[in-house]
Amino acid sequence: MELLAKDMAVKIGKKEIVKNASVHVKKRQFVGLIGPNGCGKSTLLKSIYKSLTPQQGTVFLDDLDVLKSSEKKVSQRLGVVGQFNEMHFDLTVHQMVMLGRTPHKGMLESDTQKDYEIVEEALARTNLLHYKERSYLSLSGGEKQRVILARTIAQQPQFMILDEPTNHLDIRYQIEILSCVKDLNIGVLAALHDLEMAAHYCDYLYAIKDGEIHAHGVPEEVLTPEIIEDLYQIKCQTFTNPVTKGLSFAYGF
Amino acid sequence: MGNMYYVMILLLIGAILLSAVLSVSIGQVSIPFKQSMDILLNVITNGKVGSLDHIQNESYHNIILQVRMPRVIFALLIGMGLALCGVVMQAIVQNPLADPYILGISSGATLGATFAILVGFGGSALLSQFGVAFGAFTGAMLTSMAVLLLSSIGGKATSIKLVLSGVVIGALCSSFSSLLIFFAKNTDAIKAVTFWSMGSLASASWDKTPILTIVVVLGSALFLFQHRILNTMLLGDESAITLGINLSVYRKLYMVLTSLIAGTMVAYAGMIGFVGLIIPHITRGIFGADHKRLMLGTLLLGALFMIWADILSRTLIDNIELPIGIITSVIGSPLFIYMIVKKGYNFGG
Repeated sequence: MELLAKDMAVKIGKKEIVKNASVHVKKRQFVGLIGPNGCGKSTLLKSIYKSLTPQQGTVFLDDLDVLKSSEKKVSQRLGVVGQFNEMHFDLTVHQMVMLGRTPHKGMLESDTQKDYEIVEEALARTNLLHYKERSYLSLSGGEKQRVILARTIAQQPQFMILDEPTNHLDIRYQIEILSCVKDLNIGVLAALHDLEMAAHYCDYLYAIKDGEIHAHGVPEEVLTPEIIEDLYQIKCQTFTNPVTKGLSFAYGF
Repeated sequence: MGNMYYVMILLLIGAILLSAVLSVSIGQVSIPFKQSMDILLNVITNGKVGSLDHIQNESYHNIILQVRMPRVIFALLIGMGLALCGVVMQAIVQNPLADPYILGISSGATLGATFAILVGFGGSALLSQFGVAFGAFTGAMLTSMAVLLLSSIGGKATSIKLVLSGVVIGALCSSFSSLLIFFAKNTDAIKAVTFWSMGSLASASWDKTPILTIVVVLGSALFLFQHRILNTMLLGDESAITLGINLSVYRKLYMVLTSLIAGTMVAYAGMIGFVGLIIPHITRGIFGADHKRLMLGTLLLGALFMIWADILSRTLIDNIELPIGIITSVIGSPLFIYMIVKKGYNFGG
């Protein structure tokens, strides 16, 4: 599925957080949003998945007009893994992942064998099969995030939005989560903080500064010392990592 | 766990039926359990089952059917209703501390009842007949609508806005009630207000059961099918949107429905505290927080709890009926403490 968000503008109170930003994710592309804290990455994503109403702009998932369609219709196609969120009530991991089937269910419909199979597969993909009966709240941050990812996979989305999905996670969980998403082979738009991760996983990058698209292109074009200094006000040099052959960064030089 | 659930539900239903029969046997006139059972069976099956031949006293029939039966049904319905409103309110405000009265319903109902008792609705015959019940219901509905309006200002009705609006409007109503009491000369009426606020099932009668039955049974049936939305409520607004559910809309809808149910109950039985708070928690301890199972369990446990609270309120002290609100708190709190200590239950969080 293709995502096209055009001329998005979002104001919160009187402050313009996103100014005229356009983002295009082609079929099966993994696209990253990078930029400093508070640059408007999250706000842009939220306005795309209908959590915030933008003042201006249009969002299309193929030919579905996201902003004009019902939440239910959108959620049947679009899955979102947000930043870590708090909960006051406890569910088991299985119940939590089963909630991912909500968009596909009518009010009176019960969970079918098919739903159980889908949930089972989502648990398998995220390595959570033996966690099924564990209580969600007793899990560590990394495990919780995997459960949320499993729930989103159970939603069977054709497109996925990730909002800093690996915040606070150790390196193993960061890699697990991003690899798992990459393997789904669907269109992905992800806000990421770690530039090496962004370079490694993304096919295309948008760099955001002060609510505007500052630069965009393939990782090698965007992740240059100049652009990185523009974004984060920090000097850095890029080099090809001798071990991974991927793009690496030396900050402060 | 699957089968355990059904076994538990059947056990609860069995316990409710037995307790109901026991409840109609106990009272100032003690009727043997077997005879109560026969009278009830005889009435329910229209004479086909349950022989009346060995009933020792003619009056048993009347005592059971006219006095005690409506009361048991009241207890059952009010227990269900309170537990239902509690579990829904806790989901609406995403807070395990919520109870059916949290969003201004209690203070609104109290203000309405206080007004009805101390000032009255004047000479209007129809209004004065319902008097307190009418006042309480109107008060409850008006305040919850006010809370809803206040929390909707500036867009989405989030759970925090709802709670804060509830607190503010509640405080306002309480101060008006205090004002009324402060200027009241009639000490009997003040006592009546206090008594009302402790809750009682003494007014139970057949002519009041239809409305209560319709409201509670319809409400329960409706919410039994809302488990998906109630579950997403636990996740919060952000996640719910991504699962296709706009919580702001459902919060308002559920609040209107629960305040209708809670308002009706308050009108008939006054304020019965604690049931709506602890029954959902106890049920979560047994069935977990998934509303698919939680709802039915909560309804049944609420009914069972209330029937026993009623039995105790009538029998603890000879010839005196204690306000049921006192009983629910007195047996509820230790039960709750036991649960926390024993199971390490952490308030669902």
